[in-house]
Amino acid sequence: MARPQKSCAICESGVRVVDFKDERLLARFLTERGKILPSRLSGTCARHQRQLSTAIKRARQIALIPYIKGFAG
Amino acid sequence: MARRYEAVYIFESTLEEPAVTEKLTRFHALIPQPGEAVVDVTHWGKRTLAYPVAGRETGYYVVTKFEASSEMLPEFERALKLDEGLLRHLVVLDEGAQMAPTPSAKDGEEEE
Repeated sequence: MARPQKSCAICESGVRVVDFKDERLLARFLTERGKILPSRLSGTCARHQRQLSTAIKRARQIALIPYIKGFAG
Repeated sequence: MARRYEAVYIFESTLEEPAVTEKLTRFHALIPQPGEAVVDVTHWGKRTLAYPVAGRETGYYVVTKFEASSEMLPEFERALKLDEGLLRHLVVLDEGAQMAPTPSAKDGEEEE
């Protein structure tokens, strides 16, 4: 039974280009471990999912979000 | 052909604001000034890092936007790498990204 397609949260918030400095928005698309949520779970459209993944990787590079969350390294 | 770049710098947290601005002016002096090259400098100030960088837990963040020709970037990057006070930097093309408007405050600044 096909689930109703979840709408893209980023399109709704009116953001056209995802900003890598916006860690509050990015954190919503990460698992507890800090991995990127697949778009089939988060319902994000392909365009924003591509932007999201580059933004998350850039944010990780400047230590805004961790690579692995809860890692007592 | 000048393009618009966005740079994020993470300075050592021991540095204070004047020291940081002084380093910034030295960096931005490298950018040939056709006109008003450095468009916007925002100091985020001291923040705890998501993971230790260069053995430090906190860093002084500065975000800048500037217009520059692409030929000068390698030299600019070399100056950034040489500076010990700078833990990490990231220079990317400015795609005019916007912050999502926080539900509480609807002031997500709309960049052009």
